[in-house]
Amino acid sequence: MTSKERVLAALEGKPVDRTPTCNPTSVATVELMDLVDAPFPNANREPELMARLAATGHTELGFDTIMPVFSIIQESSALGCKIQWEQKDNWPTVRMAEPIWETAEDIVIPDDFLTHQDTHCVLEAIRILKREYGDDVAIIGKTMGPWSMGYHCFGVEPFLLLSLDDPDATKRILDGLKEATVDFGVAQIEAGADALTLPDHATGDLVSGEYYARYLQDLHVEFVERIPIPLILHICGRTVDRMDYIAQTGMAAFHYDSKNKPGESMEIVKDRIALVGNINNPETLFSKGPEEVSAEVTDNLTSGVNLIGPECAVPLQTAVENLKAIPETVESWSNN
Amino acid sequence: MDRHFEEISVALYCEVDHDPVYRVHSYSQKVGTAERLSFIRDAMAVLGDLEGSGDAQLRFSCGHPHEVAVKRVFLEACKLETGADLTARPSETLDKKSGLTMIVQPDDDGIYKVAATGDGKNADRRMKVVAGGLAKLGEMEAVDDTSVRFPCGARHDALVGLLLVRAPNVRAILREDEAQASRGVLAAPSQQN
Repeated sequence: MTSKERVLAALEGKPVDRTPTCNPTSVATVELMDLVDAPFPNANREPELMARLAATGHTELGFDTIMPVFSIIQESSALGCKIQWEQKDNWPTVRMAEPIWETAEDIVIPDDFLTHQDTHCVLEAIRILKREYGDDVAIIGKTMGPWSMGYHCFGVEPFLLLSLDDPDATKRILDGLKEATVDFGVAQIEAGADALTLPDHATGDLVSGEYYARYLQDLHVEFVERIPIPLILHICGRTVDRMDYIAQTGMAAFHYDSKNKPGESMEIVKDRIALVGNINNPETLFSKGPEEVSAEVTDNLTSGVNLIGPECAVPLQTAVENLKAIPETVESWSNN
Repeated sequence: MDRHFEEISVALYCEVDHDPVYRVHSYSQKVGTAERLSFIRDAMAVLGDLEGSGDAQLRFSCGHPHEVAVKRVFLEACKLETGADLTARPSETLDKKSGLTMIVQPDDDGIYKVAATGDGKNADRRMKVVAGGLAKLGEMEAVDDTSVRFPCGARHDALVGLLLVRAPNVRAILREDEAQASRGVLAAPSQQN
């Protein structure tokens, strides 16, 4: 199987020749930026740099996927949020202390949403990657869910307080923002994406499983219907309390955090949805060595996790050797 | 990130075969990178009492990894501009908090005793602070309140001189390290400001 066939088969629950390695978020590091001379922040804003840096995930690290959307701010920038672009060694972030909207009625998806520099960059990078690698490697795009964009556009605290005080207003906001999720997702499919990550940060530390069911489960079902491509839902943190709900959405995969054990997570989702991720970022990939990375990969493999990769966007100072240990371990485990 | 050369990333890799050896490495393809790495290696050798080994590697003559201390040596070497004068740091430093000069004296058993001279205040307390700072920054063992030694038992005078500069202010240095380590780690939106 090619890398692309392997990844897509795993996302569709079909047999694979070996477990694919998949990066649904980002494996960009400062070392890889140096290797191909494509540093942040420009690699988030210029398609050629974005594509060149993203390709290293396959060409240098050996993953079966290429994911060019390193950050979580591209569409929020196009919606009008203020962005702190930072430097090579730090992530661009939305200035959430300066929200752009207060009520659902304020939401306006600009006419240039898909031609804005920061969304256009993603679309163009996907086209470049599709041309260069699209026959063999799965190109994964990313479209942010409305809960995440709610944080960005309304501010974290106001948005969470609103969700407590006024569920109807919260739902109207989610309904308004979901169109941005769909539009950007569909545009990436047209550009050549084979699958999409859909981060929607109803994270385990702030939002309960019940909240997920109340506000997001139906929306996620709707995304599956309206975005005709395998979707990989990403939510950080401890999420076993909502995995059963997530498994019912029709999403192809759930990108899950190392705060959830592979065995317990597989037990909950069973064959209803693929699991991907789980290799710990701050303590293992960033702070330890290839042996420890390999041990976590093996734990996921023996638990039957469908696609193996980091739990989230890896720290920018992660050592290349540690990231290479993920595909290397999968390869050697599959050969034994 | 190397602020003295094109903002390239430079890393110190530990390679373990028989004894641990260290390699200063960058993935940068920019012209001049090799020269910059060579300077950093030379600076580490002088500042940290390391010796050359094999193919552009560095090691401690005692064969011990001294992992925490070598990281400090690496960071200090990267702070120097290429071509800067390379001399080992002296075994004394001014403690700005007390006005005392802190001196570290080694004996033949590899024990470094911290002493203080001058007209400053709180000499006993500051000597303990400096010894504690050396212990933290160099992963040294406490012999008593004001004496420390490396776990290998060997003398590394230049390395102690390098650590001594930071030892009086160890808490701030560790906080700085922590802040540096968290840079580039993406937090979920719910945890961002």
